[in-house]
Amino acid sequence: MNCGEGIDTRQVDELYINLDPIQAGGRLTTDAMKAVLAYGDGYSVCDHCNKPFRLDHISKPPLAEFHKDLASFVNMDTARLVPGARRGFQAVADALVKPDDPVLLTAYSHYTEFISVEQAKGTPFEIPADESHIITKDAAADRIEEVIRTTGKKPALMFVEQVDYQYGNLHPVADIIKVAHQYDIPVLCNGAYTVGIMEVDGKALGADLLVGSGHKSMAAPAPSGVLATTNEWAETVFRTTRVKGDLTGRTFGIKEVEMMGCTLMGVTSVGMMASFPHVKKRVKEFDSQVKYVNLIVDALLSIEGTTVQSEYPRKHPLTRMNTTESFDKISKTHKKRGFFLTSALRERGIAGILAGSTRVWKFNSYGVTEEQAKYVADAFVDIAKAEGLSCSS
Amino acid sequence: MSKRAVDAVFQGLYLLTDIRGILRDTVPSHTLSDKQKQEAEKIIGKLEKQISILKEELLA
Repeated sequence: MNCGEGIDTRQVDELYINLDPIQAGGRLTTDAMKAVLAYGDGYSVCDHCNKPFRLDHISKPPLAEFHKDLASFVNMDTARLVPGARRGFQAVADALVKPDDPVLLTAYSHYTEFISVEQAKGTPFEIPADESHIITKDAAADRIEEVIRTTGKKPALMFVEQVDYQYGNLHPVADIIKVAHQYDIPVLCNGAYTVGIMEVDGKALGADLLVGSGHKSMAAPAPSGVLATTNEWAETVFRTTRVKGDLTGRTFGIKEVEMMGCTLMGVTSVGMMASFPHVKKRVKEFDSQVKYVNLIVDALLSIEGTTVQSEYPRKHPLTRMNTTESFDKISKTHKKRGFFLTSALRERGIAGILAGSTRVWKFNSYGVTEEQAKYVADAFVDIAKAEGLSCSS
Repeated sequence: MSKRAVDAVFQGLYLLTDIRGILRDTVPSHTLSDKQKQEAEKIIGKLEKQISILKEELLA
């Protein structure tokens, strides 16, 4: 069934339990799906855009209020919608980093954080992780000292991930930020895997800048996200235009330079807004999601040879497993080779794990019910047993 | 202009979306609990009403 010429109707989430590492938290709520139906047309939020002609001032649909609610939701002073977390990184790097400025990132920073530094012509320096795949305050302090010593400059900005995309580990962001602040380094906390999934209090973390992803963790269409700041940084990051046309003399009101004026002018912002009441509720139920991921991980660990590379017990549903000594051994002789595992999962109505993976792979169980978590856990054990692997459960 | 027909289209789409939500909530077996069955029955009833409105507005 097609939804357009040559475009198949996507039914992954209607047919399967979807464990895709990047898709779980962005799955739309039914209200967001309804918003998509009503606001799919291009500039659909601009029907009632009046002076001063900026997205965060539109009151119908209630985007002005939504911006305030978003800031309050993450306990920051000001928030703007951005087309994905990456555009938040880009806006901040562009505002704060000058050519050749050193910028601190971590061993688990997303590539878009690096590229935002590259675009601003800064020089990236990574804070290493420890053997448990955690970024510590001591590693941050050592790296700051080293960067200052070797470059003769204080880093212009530090990026730190609250939960990283590689291991799904929860890092001691508040401690790291305290260290950075001792050197007067502003910190951008990357909450792409946390804002909208678990409760995030930007002020409690000490973040100067906080970025969340709508399509990754706030049940919103892509590309969407939020960039929130403290009052101290709002003026710098959300500076308004001062440019003037040399022939026409035109000026451009209160458009914000780093936002390129308005950001999410249609289905993305309304989809995000429609999901928001549900998102506010679901972050309070995060403990259940942690319980469910541990249930699945425990089942996987009962399969002989399987290890979990993420911190354990799990504190977040994004998890990295190592099945080199279990499922990968089966793949050597299986007729479907490395595809046997994902194929067996699909036969059981489970999707989202990278096809062909039998060594190191990630899953994200965010959003499953207890019944579905048990079903997934049982499915892994059933597959293992069917292939002759020994299981302790 | 038939505002009634337009409303019926959106209402129908929203009701179908509610069913889509139930399908998503119950993957992979789509086995509905008694409560979900009652909900689905209610939605389908409302959907039939919207279809009747469309027939009245567009085909009469």
